[in-house]
Amino acid sequence: MAINLKVQLAPKNKRGLLLTNPVMTASGTFGYGMEYEHLFDIQKLGAIVCKGTTFEPREGNPQPRIVETASGMLNSIGWQNIGVEALIREKAPVWAKWQVPVIVNIAGKTVEEYGQLAARLDGVPGISGIEVNISCPNVKAGGVEFGADARSAAKVTAVVRKATALPVIMKLTPTTSDIVGIAKAVAEAGADVVCLINTLKGMAIDVKTRRPVLGNVFGGLSGPAIKPVALAMVYQVADAVDIPIIGCGGIATATDALEFIMAGATAVEIGTANFWNPRATLDILEGIEKFLRKEKIKDIRKLIGIARLKS
Amino acid sequence: MKQVASVISRNEEVIPGIFQTWLKAPELAKGARPGQFVMVRCGKDTVLRRPLSVHRLDGDKLALLFQVKGKGTKWLSHCQKGDKLDVFGLMGNGFKIAPRVKNLLLVAGGIGIAPLYYLAESALSAGKRVTLLLGAATAKQMYPVSLLPSGLEPVLATEDGSAGHKGMVTDLLPEYATSADQIFACGPLPMLRYMAIGQKKLGIKDKPSQISLEMRMGCGVGVCYGCTIRTKNGLKQVCKDGPVFSLDEVIWDDFIRC
Repeated sequence: MAINLKVQLAPKNKRGLLLTNPVMTASGTFGYGMEYEHLFDIQKLGAIVCKGTTFEPREGNPQPRIVETASGMLNSIGWQNIGVEALIREKAPVWAKWQVPVIVNIAGKTVEEYGQLAARLDGVPGISGIEVNISCPNVKAGGVEFGADARSAAKVTAVVRKATALPVIMKLTPTTSDIVGIAKAVAEAGADVVCLINTLKGMAIDVKTRRPVLGNVFGGLSGPAIKPVALAMVYQVADAVDIPIIGCGGIATATDALEFIMAGATAVEIGTANFWNPRATLDILEGIEKFLRKEKIKDIRKLIGIARLKS
Repeated sequence: MKQVASVISRNEEVIPGIFQTWLKAPELAKGARPGQFVMVRCGKDTVLRRPLSVHRLDGDKLALLFQVKGKGTKWLSHCQKGDKLDVFGLMGNGFKIAPRVKNLLLVAGGIGIAPLYYLAESALSAGKRVTLLLGAATAKQMYPVSLLPSGLEPVLATEDGSAGHKGMVTDLLPEYATSADQIFACGPLPMLRYMAIGQKKLGIKDKPSQISLEMRMGCGVGVCYGCTIRTKNGLKQVCKDGPVFSLDEVIWDDFIRC
């Protein structure tokens, strides 16, 4: 039985963002892709989202930067990255030779900086889309402050939309009481896709030293612990917007991925699972295909949003 | 780098709280260099793999040495002969013995003996003279001298004086560094930092010194930036660019809180 796994993430965008399958990597957990090239055939993936990129290179936060928690982990990397110029010079030429589309995750200190980043990446060979991080809990300026309310989220979206013809994915924070409102606002402001969710703000304390574990005090919680939260948000937003959704948050197995798709996601991003299972993305892709075969479903798109109860 | 389903051939408590786990893992044992490490999946209840040094090597078998500190290492300590262990490796750069050196001085603080054992064995088989300064809090917590490779010259230090010199293992440096051509150290961050800032006093200022750093890690392959440190040569990932660094290279002031 021939099975279709192809999904279109940006149907309203002229260039589109057609993935051969819905399995993507989450920013910050897969580097620039090359790091995993020798471990498995990364060209089989739906898309690769690279490490969050800022205008200037950034050193990131002080150590310790990560700590394991119950069914998850906290990170406070703080946008350590090589900067957009080095990315264009060193990484994009390699991506241009790949089959798998690469999406650049961007992060700015100001609204204008988001626009400048998007403009700089526009038209660079090897880059198939932009994921806008307005949801990082680990930096003082920028990040989550733009994503916490609908108005500022829409403002960043509009600026990025104006600066590039590339498909634009807005990655949203769960640290809000109005995820539906924010998703609607970014969709209206011109986003092609919304990605739900980034990490949740959290912390850990070392009782022996009587100090916060992380050098930056707070970090972002990820991993299986946040999956139900992410799933509920995808389910809620799927009813409210008519642009595709990428589900992200604690996905570690094909069943997890299928849950997100059935909740309304067109694609999924795999993050923390890459750390304990470097082949997680491929395992999930194979698992999805196996499920479809077993259930005799010819097209993955038939499952998108299928679990939603009519209201 | 490979993800391997290895089989545990032996798991024993060497001293209270410190375990030695032997794995049959031909793909990893082949070509393992002293100072390299592996990322071990410690059961389904963990999200992050645990980075553990190659402690010993014997044909197609490889030994890890670890202290039970939390959930993951506790799980690993309960593993038994025949159990499968998901191991990802080998990672890291490893120690580099300069070609012409004759006398090596190794400094191990506590569990810091883990990577230095294999280094000592390799150096001894290459005909080098190896002295090991071995420190622990008490004699009971000291790695057993009887298990050390033959030909190695151990000198002991304990904080309470129950074995060897009473005090810190670094107290022994001024005396033993004189005859050393190259120094290799592994131990708690404060020990390494003390060596770095007290180089002159300890008589190791002109001695090429390499240290192996222990750091919290996420991925082990350099993508998550969880283990980044600042060095005089820019930012480095301990997993990919280390864990072995030159003592002079690391910016030690960053570790006052760690």
